[in-house]
Amino acid sequence: MTTQTAKYEQLIQDLRVQLRPQREWGEGRGLFLVIGHFLNGIAGGAWLMSLVFDSVAGLAVGFVMAALGGTAHLCFLGRPERFWRMVWRMKSSWISRGFLGLSLFLTGAFLYLVPLFLPGAPWNAGSLLGQTGYVLAFAGMIILIGYMGFVYTASKAIPFWNSPLHPVLYIGHALRGGVAALLVVAAFGAPSAAPEQQLLWMWIAVTSAVALLFAIEMHGAFTSGNVAARGSVHKLLAGSMAWYFYIGTLAVGVAVPAWLVLAGWHSVHSRDVMALIGIASAIGDFFMKYSVIRAGTHLPLWIPAAPRR
Amino acid sequence: MKWGMVIDLKRCIGCYGCQLSCKAEHGTPPGVFYARVLKCEEGDYPSVRQVFLPVLCNHCEDAPCVDTCPTGASFKWEDGIVDIDHDKCVGCRTCMMACPYGQRYFNDKDPHYFPKGTTAYEEKRVVGHQRNVVMKCNFCRERVYAGKLPACVANCPTTARIFGDLDDPLSEVSRLIKERGGFPLHPELGTKPSVYYLPP
Repeated sequence: MTTQTAKYEQLIQDLRVQLRPQREWGEGRGLFLVIGHFLNGIAGGAWLMSLVFDSVAGLAVGFVMAALGGTAHLCFLGRPERFWRMVWRMKSSWISRGFLGLSLFLTGAFLYLVPLFLPGAPWNAGSLLGQTGYVLAFAGMIILIGYMGFVYTASKAIPFWNSPLHPVLYIGHALRGGVAALLVVAAFGAPSAAPEQQLLWMWIAVTSAVALLFAIEMHGAFTSGNVAARGSVHKLLAGSMAWYFYIGTLAVGVAVPAWLVLAGWHSVHSRDVMALIGIASAIGDFFMKYSVIRAGTHLPLWIPAAPRR
Repeated sequence: MKWGMVIDLKRCIGCYGCQLSCKAEHGTPPGVFYARVLKCEEGDYPSVRQVFLPVLCNHCEDAPCVDTCPTGASFKWEDGIVDIDHDKCVGCRTCMMACPYGQRYFNDKDPHYFPKGTTAYEEKRVVGHQRNVVMKCNFCRERVYAGKLPACVANCPTTARIFGDLDDPLSEVSRLIKERGGFPLHPELGTKPSVYYLPP
């Protein structure tokens, strides 16, 4: 059976079941969308954290992540050559807003970073062009951090995502990704104003907030009475996504870094350990996004309680 | 003027005539179904019955697919028909996540049904569709503007599908909805669909 035939057969099988799994985002080329959202989340968070802790290397990491994230988005599109058309529905489409945010961020970050890394650049970071870049990148960063959750919340077909908590959760993920990026950057010895202990405290606080929000969202989905939302929770906790969730998100993304943080709390963490905490945390975020996206289940069409004559 | 459809679940016998006539009319590629028929069971033993639920794009008044489309490829005509401009679609599939009725399909499969490749018919009808874009029902707009009924309506052997103007209170669709308690799918979502069902 060829891949195309298998894909067709899978679709036909999906159309027959009441709770149709979402496969467009997350499977096959759809994986690029998950990667894109993951990288863009880190990009926004890394830029914010780097501004707070004055880390130029962190800013550069944010820029590179955003560029890679944008490329991943292009790889996901069915017709990437038409990407420029995505600005036309700014009034109602979160994808359009995200595209604007990414464009602003990449342009602004480029203008701001070039003079910081190339001393011979025709403009400097304090010049009008450099400051314009700073403002554009800041505006783009806010949109990047915020828009992704709304993309999912606007998906009326997938009740599990259609939750008001989703955008907040994605903001939390972006912040966690930002702290993780700074931990890795710090491990490579890049100068920043962030003391190690402060970064680790921040990681604990953001991770706790994300865990709490996620638990509330799961509880809401499970008790909402919506069969598709319950199906998604089941898929995540006990179905096909359970391994990704337990191993990737909980073990690698939370348990391992938490253990590393606590184990060295009363001494000084080595650079390797700092990097490990950051990388494990980022891997956890990726699997969190992946498993939640893949757990999406379409609203069933048939209403058993259809009124009778 | 607002085009709409009423589907009488009491009359539908699940013959798939609508699904096939739609395929024939539009030459849709494998994996793309503008019209489908779902088989559902209702009730508990011994009072069980099988009900057929023909589904298609609901051409919602507040269409979430139109709002979420970043390029403007998904749009509404002034007569309420929701359509896609395939030249503008980037294939982001956001509309598929937004449509609560699951009536959008991504055309990324080979444009032939048989392992040997495209048949003469497929060469003429199926291959012409753009690849890697989203496709959906448009109430057979070309036929409607030529004064004909949508293919699924015209080919329904039991006249379970009725097509007409929802804005006209004297039209058959409006009368049936009023007299027989027509209901849309998932009214709680506030999408205001233009496809109504009459109870089985």
